Amino acid sequence: MSNLQRLREAFRTALDLPAEAPVDDLRYQDNEKWDSLAHMSLVAALEDEFSVMIDTDDVINMSSFTEAVNILGKYGVDFNE
Amino acid sequence: MNLFHPGARVIDAVTGEALTEDMIAAAATQLATEPGGVVFLPMETTLPVVARYLAALRLGRPVLLLDPEHDNASFVERFTTTEVHPDLAVLLTTSGSTGNPKLVRLTADAVRTNAEQIAEVLGITGDEVAVTTLPLFYSFGMSVLNSHLIKGATVVLERTGIMQRDFWTAVNEHGVTSLAFVPSQYEMLRRLRFDPAKYPTVRSLTQAGGRLRTDLVSDFAQRMATVGGRLYVMYGQTEAGPRMATLPPARLEEKLGSVGQALPGGAFTIEDDEVVYRGPNVMMGYAETAADLALGDVQGGVLRTGDLGHVDDEGFLFITGRIKRMAKVFGVRINLDDVEKNFPVAAVAGDDKLAVFAVGVSDDEARGLRTKIAEWLGTHFSGVVVRSVEALPLMPNGKTDYRALESSL
Repeated sequence: MSNLQRLREAFRTALDLPAEAPVDDLRYQDNEKWDSLAHMSLVAALEDEFSVMIDTDDVINMSSFTEAVNILGKYGVDFNE
Repeated sequence: MNLFHPGARVIDAVTGEALTEDMIAAAATQLATEPGGVVFLPMETTLPVVARYLAALRLGRPVLLLDPEHDNASFVERFTTTEVHPDLAVLLTTSGSTGNPKLVRLTADAVRTNAEQIAEVLGITGDEVAVTTLPLFYSFGMSVLNSHLIKGATVVLERTGIMQRDFWTAVNEHGVTSLAFVPSQYEMLRRLRFDPAKYPTVRSLTQAGGRLRTDLVSDFAQRMATVGGRLYVMYGQTEAGPRMATLPPARLEEKLGSVGQALPGGAFTIEDDEVVYRGPNVMMGYAETAADLALGDVQGGVLRTGDLGHVDDEGFLFITGRIKRMAKVFGVRINLDDVEKNFPVAAVAGDDKLAVFAVGVSDDEARGLRTKIAEWLGTHFSGVVVRSVEALPLMPNGKTDYRALESSL
């Protein structure tokens, strides 16, 4: 599985979305399931999935799927593979 | 009742707009044109809603604080009446969304007294600045608002939460001095590696809404101490309007695990192992039907909390459990027996989670069950844990051995 697919999967699991649900355009709180609790499980899932430790500032800046791609990029996760 | 001290300020963090006397007066004029009886108020965190809340209190109209994200038609159906007791000021919903939740009936005196009690023990003055961290229909959130407004302090209305940048920007922009959180938010703050040095005006944290594990109590007390700040552990129930006790920060380490001493004017006793609170902030009673809204005080200032506990020789209360089988999920009370009536599981309380045990279910079935139970509770699925077991452990009398289930978590 590509890193992008792994990221999509992590979003679906953390936000309790169906298997094929589109997630690339998701933004914090546009989706009613993306609240503070879901955000915490999302961050934990991303840390596990990509073996990274996400800084506090990055946790609170991760306001969309696109932002998650940018932030994980800073931690060396390559989404262009 | 007027909770809005002349020096008080309520500011919308997004628009920068401040609540004015004119806005409250306009809300009162509007209310006066509407039918009498209960004011049903979905408590969005906005200036017009706060204005309407304060206007209802001034007019002596009982106001029912509702969750704006729920369909509240059933409340309107159940509690529409003009026959209301003259002392009735605030109505709050009890636990969760299951069945037909009872309402807690509070007098203006109880609401005002509790706001004063809280302000006294927390040292709230006109210089304090609070920010909304909890929904305003939730008794803890309401009491943060009341205890600041009554002392001429500032309350910043912020609709995002601690996981979002905007929240923390507002904290620094408005010079917020205190933050109030429930246990699940402390768990989040720990994950966020909350560092009070980044928020130089924040000097006190308060905690209520369920038991916070003692290692986190110590942890946050220490974080605050490094910047000369404090953590206040508090204890409350909606039925007490809502707060009953606070643990003075200077005694926190020595009395770790205690929820503190009764607020001024209140007292705890233990009767048949149950914690009983007596104080001026106790509710008039519950309401299950519209007719109950005409009732007077049936409590006499006495609240049987349903908690088990003990009080030490200095009056510090320690809570050890619940008499009825209850769990708290994200600070909301859930009756475990109700869960078992609706789902084929054995239910126990985890740390701010509901834990259920189902016999012989597959992983997929367990996930499906978790989603269904969370939907039924109206809570986030991460508040529910489902475990598959081969068989439920039983006690010699044939009843489910809940202790064994709890210790297996």
